[in-house]
Amino acid sequence: MSQETQSNQYTSLFDNKTLSMLERMRLNPTRRLTNRSRGEHLSGKGGTSTEFSDYRNYVAGDDVRYIDWNIFSRLNRPYMKQYQHEEEMHVVLILDASSSMDYEDKFLRCQQLAAAFGVMGLLNFEKVSAYACNQKGGRPAKLSPCTGRISMKRLFDFLTKIEVGGDSPIEEAVEDVLRSHRGRGVAIVLSDYESFGDLQRPFNMLFSAGMEIFGVQVLGPSEINPEINGDLRLVDSESGQTLDISSAGDLLGLYHEHRALLENHLAMLCRQRSGRFMTINSGDSLEHILFDLLRRKGWVL
Amino acid sequence: MNFWPGFYSLQGAWYLLLLVPLVIFYFLKLKRPHKNVPSLALWSQVINDRRVNSPFQKFKRSILLLLQILLLLFLVLSLMQPYIQSGADRAQYLPILIDCSASMAATDPDTKKSRLDLAKERVTELIDNLLPDQRISLVAVSSTAHRLTDFTDNQRVLKQALTGLTVDDVPSKLEDALRMTQALSRTVPIKTVLFYSDGNFPKEVSFDLPFELNYQKLPPAGSNMGITSFNARKNQTGNWDVFIRLENSPKSENPATIELKQDGQTVAKEELILGKGDSQRIEFSINTKSGSTLEAVLTPGSFDSLPADNRAFLKIPSSRSLLVFISPDLESYRYALAENKDLELYPRKEESVGPAEYDLIIAASEKDLDKQALIKLGVGFIPEELKQYISLETKLTDMVDWNRSSALLRHVELNDVQITEQPVWAENAGVENLEGLGYEVLVHGRLGPLLLQKRNSGELEFFFLFNTDHSTMPYRVGFPIMVSNLIQLTLQEAGIAEVQASATPVLPAVEYVPEKKYQIKTPDGQQLSTESNKNGLVSGIAALHVGKYLITGEGADSAEICVSLLNPQETSLVSIDEIQFSEVPVTASQTQIDSDKPLWVEFAFIAFVLLLVEWWYFQRRPAGIPS
Repeated sequence: MSQETQSNQYTSLFDNKTLSMLERMRLNPTRRLTNRSRGEHLSGKGGTSTEFSDYRNYVAGDDVRYIDWNIFSRLNRPYMKQYQHEEEMHVVLILDASSSMDYEDKFLRCQQLAAAFGVMGLLNFEKVSAYACNQKGGRPAKLSPCTGRISMKRLFDFLTKIEVGGDSPIEEAVEDVLRSHRGRGVAIVLSDYESFGDLQRPFNMLFSAGMEIFGVQVLGPSEINPEINGDLRLVDSESGQTLDISSAGDLLGLYHEHRALLENHLAMLCRQRSGRFMTINSGDSLEHILFDLLRRKGWVL
Repeated sequence: MNFWPGFYSLQGAWYLLLLVPLVIFYFLKLKRPHKNVPSLALWSQVINDRRVNSPFQKFKRSILLLLQILLLLFLVLSLMQPYIQSGADRAQYLPILIDCSASMAATDPDTKKSRLDLAKERVTELIDNLLPDQRISLVAVSSTAHRLTDFTDNQRVLKQALTGLTVDDVPSKLEDALRMTQALSRTVPIKTVLFYSDGNFPKEVSFDLPFELNYQKLPPAGSNMGITSFNARKNQTGNWDVFIRLENSPKSENPATIELKQDGQTVAKEELILGKGDSQRIEFSINTKSGSTLEAVLTPGSFDSLPADNRAFLKIPSSRSLLVFISPDLESYRYALAENKDLELYPRKEESVGPAEYDLIIAASEKDLDKQALIKLGVGFIPEELKQYISLETKLTDMVDWNRSSALLRHVELNDVQITEQPVWAENAGVENLEGLGYEVLVHGRLGPLLLQKRNSGELEFFFLFNTDHSTMPYRVGFPIMVSNLIQLTLQEAGIAEVQASATPVLPAVEYVPEKKYQIKTPDGQQLSTESNKNGLVSGIAALHVGKYLITGEGADSAEICVSLLNPQETSLVSIDEIQFSEVPVTASQTQIDSDKPLWVEFAFIAFVLLLVEWWYFQRRPAGIPS
């Protein structure tokens, strides 16, 4: 994108065309975990919106205003018309901003995805909040819950201003977020999930808090297909710890096995909590991820 | 066979010290390059998993070091020049005698390889396995011994000499080669001599072995049929009876066709079948007055191992009368020969001067024997040089014993012949005195010899020490037989009544102009040069191959001399398993000789393979990368 063109863009995270396409999309959570407050998100309960849902038999005490009189005239029996209940859903974006994400556009892809999910939430009148976790023990940077198109600029600004670096593991970051978060909805956790800790506890906490977990693992191309050989000393970007490996070429098979195991483990953790999980290669194009991958996986409509 | 290898150059083990810098450099080089990764979480799991699953993890970690150590070890082993010991004492100087006689050209029906080819293969193997301190000398054995190389370890020279080795169409003489080797042993210590042969040579060898002879007998060849004798005799009708003897090896029964060519034209042909080991004489009759060249060609009907003995040549001389001088005093001899039309007797009544040379002289005095002749018979006198040993007494005596195998006395009965003159030994004289002067006693009397024979250069001389006319001998049946034998002997010496084909390895002597140079072209295209002696004789020319030898020079006029193999032993292809020497027999070795086998090539090859493996290990695509 040229400098002139970039100045015309609404955000630096993606171009206006992508933004306009995102505006027509919305999240498709499996469970309809919503807040009691009215919103535009269709809840599973019957409601009073204009969206027709179903018929049911009339029982004493029902509001006669909802009797379908046309059916009554034909069948001579009263049936109640039911409408979709539209409630507010809280979309929580949790971004892992530790040093491990500062590789091969991993965090950029994180920002873009968070922005995309945020746009979908905001334009569907969901409440959207965002958290960026980087320093272990520190409070995560937070975008307070906001809603509506008017908050898009705030969201983009928040996301673009996140500084990457730190040693915050994702499991602790989630716990930090849940200390200050209130509300049910969808928790979109964007991280590489390369952590020594156990993710079961934070996922349980998210589930208990009434959040449907959307786990997005963002990995760089060199993490998906590392091309290393010989004797190496690997240095951890977060902790600075080192690990000596010999004949690295021989280990690649095991590496791929373990990466697949981690992926399956995370997917299982999410699935057990009625959530979803997806691994994304930061080398893949954003359009492919947003308009192809997410749609095919049924994450968005 | 000792399977523990020996090392020729043990000092090469010092190079093992290179292991120290190798290991040091390996670990110095092992300063690992740093690589930043987002997280070590996955890699830690991978390393832990490998530690659990791989019992040889430590080995794998240092596999490059191990490969380098192995590479160095094998290189050092190559430098140490290991070899597998054959078990036998390693001879430092090893003469190898290779039989090159005619039978070594015999081929195998299956492999078509000659015995010499097999010998070459085995010797080449020995040369290939030559150790640095070993020296080999190659000696070719045929009718003589020929040293092909000095003692050398130069494989190129040895193999070149071996390649140039060819079969000579001659019988082998092992003695010459052994004597040559004995001479070599005076300059270098020789413990063992290797002898490669098919075993086709005389079983008994007159030689005292000063070293150990390892007789490596080569496997037998296929069947063979050949001409072993070719001669002709003039019969009484003036025609020539030609005799060809064919022999078959003991392997199998074979059909064959024998063809006789006279001056290139086929004059006779006969088909025959020879059984195993059979010998058959074929007789043909030809008519020629002016002399001609005969060629016998044998065409075997089945596989024939040796082609050299399938052709033979014979030169029929022009016919002429014998010139015989008989002293006028010896009437009995003149009477006995008077009726023979093929003789011209001298002196004639009408001629006072006879020819300068005679074929036969029968003389009653030593003076008449001064004339040139092929055969001389002195009757009734004692040669001047023998008078100190023998004297003649007038006394009645008879013959005690005689040499019945002598050509002169064949079928002659001398019992009861009464002699009035008796030769008597002088005091302390005996047969040995005569033998010292070259005489051989053919007939013994009671007190002295009665008939002597002496070969005097080209002449054959007989001496009756008594006058046969003063005995009852002329009246006995034996007398005309003896005179007939004398004529036959003269005919043989003159070569006009009986001729035999010339055989290898020497051309028959021929007479040309004295002291002139002559060029001889051999059947294999070689040019030889020789000079005739003062008598004009050209002799001693090696004829190692069957065929026609063309002689050019003054008086020779492109004369052709043909030689054939004509050796029953070579044709029969019989082989002996044991050589009988003067003191000890030598049995053919049943096993092929083992030589120390150098291993440095194998070790160097393994080192090269290790180098390739190491290279591959570095360059290969890392395992586990999904395609």
